[in-house]
Amino acid sequence: MPVAPSLSPFVLRRPWLKQLLTPLAAWYANAAGYRQMGLKADDLLSEENEDVLKAISRLDAKENYDRIYRIRRATQLSLQQKILPRNEWTKPEEDTPYLSPILEQVYAENQEREALNTLTVLKKH
Amino acid sequence: MICKSALSRGGQVALRRQGAAKLAQRGFAAVASPKASYEPTTIGGVKVASRDDNGPTTRLAVVAKAGTRYEPLPGLTVGLEEFAFKAANFASRRQNTTKRSALRITREAELLGGQLTSYHTREAFVLQASFLRDDLPYFTELLGEVLSQTRYTTHEYHEEVVNVIHEKQARLDAAAIALDAAHAVAFHTGLGAPLYPTANTPISSYLNESSVASFAAAAFTKANIAVVADGASDAGLTKWIDPFFRHVPAESQSALSATPSKYYGGEQRIATAGSNSVVIAFPGAALGASQPETAVLVGLLGGESTIKWSPGFSLLSKAVASAPGASSKATNFAYSDAGLLTIQVSGSASAVRKAAEESVKALKSIVDGGVSQENLVKAIAKAKFNLLSGSEVSGVGIVHAGANLIHGGKPLQVAETLKALEGVTGDKLKAAAKTLLEGKASVAAVGDLHVLPFAEELGLKRKILPSHHLNHSQTAAKMTFAWKAAGITYNRYLAVAARVVRRSLKDEKRLVAERRGLQELRFAKWEGGKQGELKNLADANAQAAVESAATGGTA
Repeated sequence: MPVAPSLSPFVLRRPWLKQLLTPLAAWYANAAGYRQMGLKADDLLSEENEDVLKAISRLDAKENYDRIYRIRRATQLSLQQKILPRNEWTKPEEDTPYLSPILEQVYAENQEREALNTLTVLKKH
Repeated sequence: MICKSALSRGGQVALRRQGAAKLAQRGFAAVASPKASYEPTTIGGVKVASRDDNGPTTRLAVVAKAGTRYEPLPGLTVGLEEFAFKAANFASRRQNTTKRSALRITREAELLGGQLTSYHTREAFVLQASFLRDDLPYFTELLGEVLSQTRYTTHEYHEEVVNVIHEKQARLDAAAIALDAAHAVAFHTGLGAPLYPTANTPISSYLNESSVASFAAAAFTKANIAVVADGASDAGLTKWIDPFFRHVPAESQSALSATPSKYYGGEQRIATAGSNSVVIAFPGAALGASQPETAVLVGLLGGESTIKWSPGFSLLSKAVASAPGASSKATNFAYSDAGLLTIQVSGSASAVRKAAEESVKALKSIVDGGVSQENLVKAIAKAKFNLLSGSEVSGVGIVHAGANLIHGGKPLQVAETLKALEGVTGDKLKAAAKTLLEGKASVAAVGDLHVLPFAEELGLKRKILPSHHLNHSQTAAKMTFAWKAAGITYNRYLAVAARVVRRSLKDEKRLVAERRGLQELRFAKWEGGKQGELKNLADANAQAAVESAATGGTA
């Protein structure tokens, strides 16, 4: 699976658990440090993968440009051993999944192709 | 010993003779029982034409009024065609509907042994499925889904549709480009839109997934489509069309507009490398128009061989025999409100030039020499065959029937039309050919323009000259003077002009002017080096005026 195995569907089905874990998740995302470098979570997906490359090719021009800008800025910051000033950090509401829905779609396509390629045909008539 | 086969041979021969006698009685191209080939019905708001011969396979087609004539922007019909499912070659080219991915549609159709195609003509856009009779529900649902629930996604447009369009553009040959060009000069917009835009056409600014989607929303409405079924039971159609076409909207907010076609005519020349083609087109017969002469004329000109290993004996095939390597064929393209009778010539450049010249000569020979009885009979038989094979609800007939339904036409009244065809005489054909040659032709030459002929060189008129203006325009063309054209001498012309001016004066002035006009000029005509009789000019003029008045002339 291209997107890492996740417990989120399990959690999202249970409102009480979601309520309990949301602050924890917010703390974790902040603590991960990518927001301080102006990145979004989906920028961290590894590009060395056919599916991700295909998903990136399906981004529209503006999103693709912004993604490259964020990554180059983060690389520069990493070289300089710095983080962005606080007002330029990625805000939690800006940290939206822009690539993973497309990636899931690509993944589903491949799954479907695989399933159809290994189909067992039952004769009806 | 006499073997068994020899004994029975007599019987076989007798049987064969009997059969031959029966054939002879039938006469040529007799039709057993001419009747309309389908009855139009309406199921759940959708117009349906069906024919059922209880065969094992079914062809189901959705014909929509979304051909290139109706596209609001160039290339949209082509986009629609490529966004629909496609025939089996490349599975990945099929596109998505909401429930099923393109791949799933392909694989499921393959598992059921079906074939899916989408294509378009100038007026109609066709989604067609051929399948085993039992699979009617599956394919009805599929066609309904493709119409109403296709997602026109950005990535499929960029990853697949564009590539297919480029590939098809690369495959366009001179014949197709010439036919498009002939339509363009004949009809300008509407029917003049190219059937497939060439690689040089700037369609990228008009064609994208959202423009195709909005075109589809406008085109795929119940009022705008017809379902044509060949080999499906009426009960099955009634049962399945209603539920599966429920999501197709009855009407759309943005109706597609079409201006009535008008024939213009003209000439177009396009330089391309590779193949060469010349299309000579004239106004033809529209769908359902009662112009049997045009159909017979097409049969007479012919061009395509009906006999294997032979060029055929129609006028055009005989005409191009002197230009080996070229082919020439006549076709009448019938549309809902106009028609185009074309002679398409293709081959190598020099052969095309020769064949085009010969083809026009063949057409002129009909005007000059008329048609022999034998050729007329052949042409009528051919026209009948073309008519009947086109009106069957199978093969090309599917598009014909669908186009008829979406344009609100009646199904072809076969018996009447056949009678009209039989009534065509040599004189009528001659008159029809004469009208064509006297009207303005549309000529398109594509290929090596150094060699290919101009319309003028082929002896075709490019301007319409109404017959009552003919004399005036001829005199104007020779730059002669009015008095010369009227057939009087310059002296007499001056005399007439002077007399008219003087007579228009008031009495007292007139008398003075006429006295001033008295002249003492004499003239003589010299003939064979000798002077003729010497005459007074004034007397001669007066005499001529009297003579002219007697005969009703102006001088």
